[in-house]
Amino acid sequence: MANEEAKSVTDTDRTVDQLSSGGVMFRVQDLDLYYGNFQALKKINIEIPARKVTAFIGPSGCGKSTLLRCFNRMNDLIDDVRIEGKILLGDRDIKDANMDVVRLRTEVGMVFQSPNPFPMSIYDNVTYGLRCQGIKDKALLDEVVESSLKKAALWNEVKDDLGKNAVKLSGGQQQRLCIARAIALQPTVILMDEPTSALDPVATGKIEDLMETLKEDYTIIIVTHSMNQAARISDKTAFFYLGDLIEYGDTDRVFSKPADPRTEAYITGRFG
Amino acid sequence: MTNDRRTLDALTNKRGMNNQRRLADGIKDFITYLSTSLSVLVLGAVFVFVLTRGWQTLSWDMITGDFWGGNFKVNFTETLPGTFTAPGSLPQDAYFSEKYGFAVRDDKNHEKKDIMVLLYLDPESPLKTSVGATAGPTLDQPLSAGIGAEIRKITYVNDDGAKKSAGLLGKQNAEQMVFTLDTQSVSVDSMDFQSSGGGIRGSLAATLMLIGITLVIALPIGVFAAIYLHEIAGKGKITKMIRAAIEMLNGVPSIIFGLMGMTVFFPLTRLFGATTPNILLGGITMTVVLLPVIIRQTEEALITVPDKLRMGSLSLGATKTQTIFKVVLPNALPGILSAGLLSISRIIGESAALIYTMGTFVVDRPQLNGRATTLAVQIWSVMSGEQPNFELASAISILILLMVLVLNVSVKMITASLNKKWKE
Ligand SMILES: Nc1ncnc2c1ncn2[C@@H]1O[C@H](COP(=O)(O)OP(=O)(O)OP(=O)(O)O)[C@@H](O)[C@H]1O
Ligand SMILES: [Mg+2]
Repeated sequence: MANEEAKSVTDTDRTVDQLSSGGVMFRVQDLDLYYGNFQALKKINIEIPARKVTAFIGPSGCGKSTLLRCFNRMNDLIDDVRIEGKILLGDRDIKDANMDVVRLRTEVGMVFQSPNPFPMSIYDNVTYGLRCQGIKDKALLDEVVESSLKKAALWNEVKDDLGKNAVKLSGGQQQRLCIARAIALQPTVILMDEPTSALDPVATGKIEDLMETLKEDYTIIIVTHSMNQAARISDKTAFFYLGDLIEYGDTDRVFSKPADPRTEAYITGRFG
Repeated sequence: MTNDRRTLDALTNKRGMNNQRRLADGIKDFITYLSTSLSVLVLGAVFVFVLTRGWQTLSWDMITGDFWGGNFKVNFTETLPGTFTAPGSLPQDAYFSEKYGFAVRDDKNHEKKDIMVLLYLDPESPLKTSVGATAGPTLDQPLSAGIGAEIRKITYVNDDGAKKSAGLLGKQNAEQMVFTLDTQSVSVDSMDFQSSGGGIRGSLAATLMLIGITLVIALPIGVFAAIYLHEIAGKGKITKMIRAAIEMLNGVPSIIFGLMGMTVFFPLTRLFGATTPNILLGGITMTVVLLPVIIRQTEEALITVPDKLRMGSLSLGATKTQTIFKVVLPNALPGILSAGLLSISRIIGESAALIYTMGTFVVDRPQLNGRATTLAVQIWSVMSGEQPNFELASAISILILLMVLVLNVSVKMITASLNKKWKE
C-alpha cells in the first residue's frame, strides 16, 4: 500500500508498538514550563496510552494547549519559554537538544483550533508534508492523497476537484483536510487542540466519528472544552487547573466518580 | 445611567463647559477643514500650473525625440546598398529609395525655406548604421537620424570612385536626390542632417534603465533582509537596533547618498568601464536609498501572512526555510510587488541622489556605464541653463505626475486586495 511505501521513504520504519513501551506513547515526568517568569505547567506527570484517545480538559488558561505543544515541540517557536523535566517518546526524550525536531513533527502531527489550510490546491495541501520531505514520486503522492482524504472522510466530497483552492472549502471540510494533511505523513500521534470549536454541530459530529476510526491506527490527544465531547470520544481524561494536573484516569471513571472536588465542579459546569 | 447623565450635566453647566467646548471644537474643526482644503488646493494648483504650461509641448514626437537638436554629420558603418520595398503607408509626395530603404519629401520650414524631411527609415537601411562624425560627445556614438529630421546632404560614391553630394546642399529636391542615389551611387559615405531636438527619449530610456538596474539589485537584497528581520532573527536587542538603523536611513536626505555613491561606489562601476558618473552608479545609489522602503514594505506584507499558516507548515515537518519559501513568500508576493512599484515611483521622482552619480548632461543614447539623466533630472537640467525651457520642463512634469499617479493607484489596489484576502 502507498502508505507503507511512504513510511519507508520518510525513513521511519517505526511502529506504534516499537515506539511506545508497554502501550505507553508519551511518558511525561516532572514537567515544569515557564513563559518568562510565569509558570504555566507545574510538575506534570502523565502517561499517554498508545492507540487511545486522551482528552485534556480544564478551564481556560490552565495549560492544556501548552502541554499539547510540548509533544511536538511547537513551544520552541515561542520566545522565552523554559521547560524542565522529561517527555519520553519511547525511550527518547523529545526535549533533547539533539532531537531532530523536524522529524519529530512528522511523527507527531497536529491539528489546530481554527482550520489553517494553505491557500493552495487540496492536492498540494495533502502532499505538502511529503513534498517537504523531498518526495516527488507522482504515483505515490496520488495514492497518499486518496488514502489520506479517505481516512479523513473527505474523499467523496472533493475527489472530483482536487485542484480546488483549499480555502474555498467549508470550515468543516477545511478541518478534515487539515487532518488528512497530518495523516498523509503517517504520524503515530495526532495532537488536536479544540479541533471542533470553530465548527457547527454537523461538522463536529463528522470529526468525532472520524476520531473513533482514527484511534485504531493513531494515538490521539485532544484538547476540548466540551464535556460531552470528552465523555463521548475519549478513553482517558486529564483535568488541569491552573497549571496542575488535578486528575487523570479512564474517562468513564473521571466522569462518573471524580476523585477531586475541583474536577467534579468543573465537569458539572459549576465553574470554569 | 440616568444618574450619571444628570451629574455630568450638572458639572458641565456649572463650569460653562458647553460653550467653551463648542468654541474649542469649532476652532479645531475649522483648522482641520482649512488644512485639508489647503492641501487639495495646492495639489490642484500644481496640476493646473503644470498642465497649462506643458500641455502644448507634450507630444509623441517629444517623447520619442532626441533632446539635442541641431546639425549633425554622420558616417555610415554599413555603406553598401541593398534592395528595399516601400511600406504601403507612404504619402503621395514621398520618394522612396529602393537601394537604401528610406523615404523623404519636400517641405518648407516655418521660415518658408525649403527643407527635405525624412519620412521613413527601414530598420535594415544603411542609413540606420550612422555614427557621429563631428567632434563632441556624440563622436563615434551611434547617431541615427530620426523620423522628421531634415536631410541636407547625403554623400555617395559613384562608379568612378569619386565622392559626390546629393540633396539640398547639392541643389536637389527629394525626387532628384533619391533618383541620383538609386541610379548613380555605388555606396553611401556620410550624411548631414538637422534634428529638431527638445525630446526626452534619452532620459526616458535612462529612467527605465535605472529602474531596471535598481530593482534587480535592491529587490532581492531588500526582500531577503526583510525575511531575515521578520522570520529568522529573534526579537532581541540587535534586531531592534538593525531595524532602527534601517528606519533612520529613511530620513537621510538623498543628496547625502548621492555624495556617498560618488565617492564609495564609483570605483566599483569603474570595473564596468565607467569613466564618468553613470547609470549603474545611480542604480547602486538608489538601491541604498530604497532599501529601507523595500524592507519596510516587505515586512508589512510578511506581517499580513497569518501565523497559523507558519504553524501549520512547521507542524507538518517543514523546516523554517521551507516554510518561508513555500508558504510565507508566495502569500507575501502582492506586498513585495507593491514594494517594487513604490520603489519605481521613488526612482522616477528622485533627483538629488542622481545629480552626482549620473550627472546632469542630457544624453540621447544613454548607456549603462555612461552619463545620463532621468526625467526628473532633465527637468533640472533644462531649467538651469542660460535659457530655461519651461514648457519642456512642464511637459516632463506631466509625464512624471502621470506615472507616479498610476503607480500609486496600483499600490493602493494591491494593498486593498491583500487586506481583503485575509479578512474573510
Ligand atoms: N506565548 C505565551 N506567552 C506567555 N504566556 C502564555 C503564552 N501562551 C500561553 N500563555 C499562558 O500560559 C497559560 C496557559 O495557556 P494555554 O494556552 O496553555 O491555556 P489553555 O488551557 O489552552 O486555555 P484555553 O482553553 O483558553 O485555550 C495561560 O495563563 C496563558 O496566559
Ligand atoms: Mg488552548
